[in-house]
Amino acid sequence: MKIRRKLFLAFTIYMVLALIPSLFAFREMDTLRKRLKPVEIAGDITNVFLNVRRQEKNFLLLKDQDSLQLLRKQIAMLKGNINDIETDIIRELGKQNYQSLRSALTKYEGIVQLLSDNFTLQHTAVNELTRLGRDIEKQLSERDLQTFLVLRRHEKNLIIHRDANAIEQFRSVYAPMRASAPAELSQYASIAERLYLLYYEEKSLDSEMRKYASDIQTLVESVLQGEREDIDNLLIMSMYLLLGALVTILTIGIIINTRLANSIVRPIRLLEKFTKRVATGDFSDPPVIEGSHEIAALAMALNQMASRLKDTVSSLELAIRNLHDKQEQLVEAEKLASLGRIAAGVAHEINNPLAIINEKAGLMQDILQLSDDFQHKEKFLAQIEGIVNSINRCRIITHRLLGFARRIEVTIEPFELNEAIRETVTFLQNDVLSKMVRIDLNLAGDMPEIRSDKIQLEQVFLNLIKNAIDAVAEGGLISISTSRRDDQSVQVSISDNGPGIPKDMIQHIFEPFFTTKERGKGTGLGLFVSHAILKKLGGKIQVQSESGRGTTFVLQIPVRLLPDQEAPQ
Amino acid sequence: MSAVKVLIVDDEQDFATALAERLRLRGYEATAIFSPDDALATTKEMQPDVVLLDLRLPGVSGIEMLMTMREFVPGVEIILLTGHLDLAQRIQGMRLDAFEYIMKPIEIADLINKIEKVGKHRDRT
Repeated sequence: MKIRRKLFLAFTIYMVLALIPSLFAFREMDTLRKRLKPVEIAGDITNVFLNVRRQEKNFLLLKDQDSLQLLRKQIAMLKGNINDIETDIIRELGKQNYQSLRSALTKYEGIVQLLSDNFTLQHTAVNELTRLGRDIEKQLSERDLQTFLVLRRHEKNLIIHRDANAIEQFRSVYAPMRASAPAELSQYASIAERLYLLYYEEKSLDSEMRKYASDIQTLVESVLQGEREDIDNLLIMSMYLLLGALVTILTIGIIINTRLANSIVRPIRLLEKFTKRVATGDFSDPPVIEGSHEIAALAMALNQMASRLKDTVSSLELAIRNLHDKQEQLVEAEKLASLGRIAAGVAHEINNPLAIINEKAGLMQDILQLSDDFQHKEKFLAQIEGIVNSINRCRIITHRLLGFARRIEVTIEPFELNEAIRETVTFLQNDVLSKMVRIDLNLAGDMPEIRSDKIQLEQVFLNLIKNAIDAVAEGGLISISTSRRDDQSVQVSISDNGPGIPKDMIQHIFEPFFTTKERGKGTGLGLFVSHAILKKLGGKIQVQSESGRGTTFVLQIPVRLLPDQEAPQ
Repeated sequence: MSAVKVLIVDDEQDFATALAERLRLRGYEATAIFSPDDALATTKEMQPDVVLLDLRLPGVSGIEMLMTMREFVPGVEIILLTGHLDLAQRIQGMRLDAFEYIMKPIEIADLINKIEKVGKHRDRT
């Protein structure tokens, strides 16, 4: 998955997971908001109920129509409020309690009505009692009046105290009068009795009303209390929900971030390690990063870069190696050239005095041969002969050295290698015939034309074939073969069936002045010069020899000696 | 047939005189000189059949010497003597008809052979 998509997905998951508890919290808040209204109304109900009680007091105190109206208004308002939050009240109190609230309210209202009627009756009774009393007072005689005034005093006591004691005293005063009482008086007494009854009724109504009021108050307060507790619970729940949401968001956030960071950082770490290894030249084990994301693409690009870098480095290394080889060849060639110059200088310096010795000795020989015999003539001649032989040995050495120096220069020409070998063999025909040696030529037919120094290569063939002729016994066999090695080089091998070269000598045979031939016969320069020529012409000379079976020299010669391969002069 | 006249030009006096004497012992009319200035004068005067010339004479290029000698003595045969092989000079020498070339130290038999060849060459012309 692409990193961008991964990031987007992680972010989305994170947001959704964060949103869920947030939504819950939101819903909780909304419930809370909706529940606040009933709480408010419940509060109102409490307030209105308090007003009802206040008006109730007024009503009980004043007992008039105005306060009754005010009380009724408050009760109506309370009922309205209770209706508004009926469901909430039912939820808080239960159906039964709600019903009892309603019935208490109705009863309360009924009692208020009863009280109001009672008060009216009381009022009427008091008025009638007062009027009848005055009327009776006017009609009574002095003596009767005294008794009636006592009765009136008890009447006042009843109106003021409203208790049983007052009516008992009234009755006791009235009792003796009852039998002879006129109609008005008995009416007066019965009104007093009724008033007492009304007072009694008021008292019981009053206490009943208080009981209902207190019931209502309890219920209303428990509604408010319940609502408050609900709100409290809701608030606590919201708090926990928010806390839970916070913890969830944090936890999920940490998990998602950690996993995301790991999935992005781990492959980058791998790449970093590989890059460091590449910096130290270690191209092994390129990191394998699966997937289609950017880092996988980066890894692929990096691997490609690394493999190209590897190729470049190895080709550079190859180039450097080639350069080293070239340099070594140059140094080698320069060494050879220096050696050549020194050899030539020494040879030349020696040649002149050697020439003088040669001529003087020769002259002495001449003179002695022309002279008559004398005592030590033969001895002298023998000595001179020794001198001349030594000079000849020296001459061969110096001529070889001069020849070696001359061969430092290279002349390139195209020629047929097989032809050059045939010419060389022809040139050695005298030696071959005199020693009865057989030379087998196995020359390949598909040999390419060579561009090299023909004269010098012929010199090499000459040296090697001559060595072979010297090595084999009379009637020995020498075989020469040519073949094509590859597009760049050809091979010539020259074998003899002579005695072979002893193992301990084989490593020295290309050194200057090393020879296995008897003293005076070899200069020790033939193979050295051949080796130097091959090296200079970009070829190689190798020797294989087995004691008693013969020796094979194998030459590798480049088909084309390019100008930059030529040794400097 | 008169004796073959051989002129030896070499700054190595010991070499030249000894060689001259050995040639004389073998019946040649040999003269040795040691300086290039003398060489040209003597060549002109003596009209030799063969000149044995050291290519490395002090102060003079061997090639110039060859050309001057050819002017003085038309048909003279020149054998180059040297202690040193020098490819370029050898090739140029060949082009000037210096057709023989001997390395020092000389083998007397070899030299006699070459002079004889030259003598025969001269007899034919």
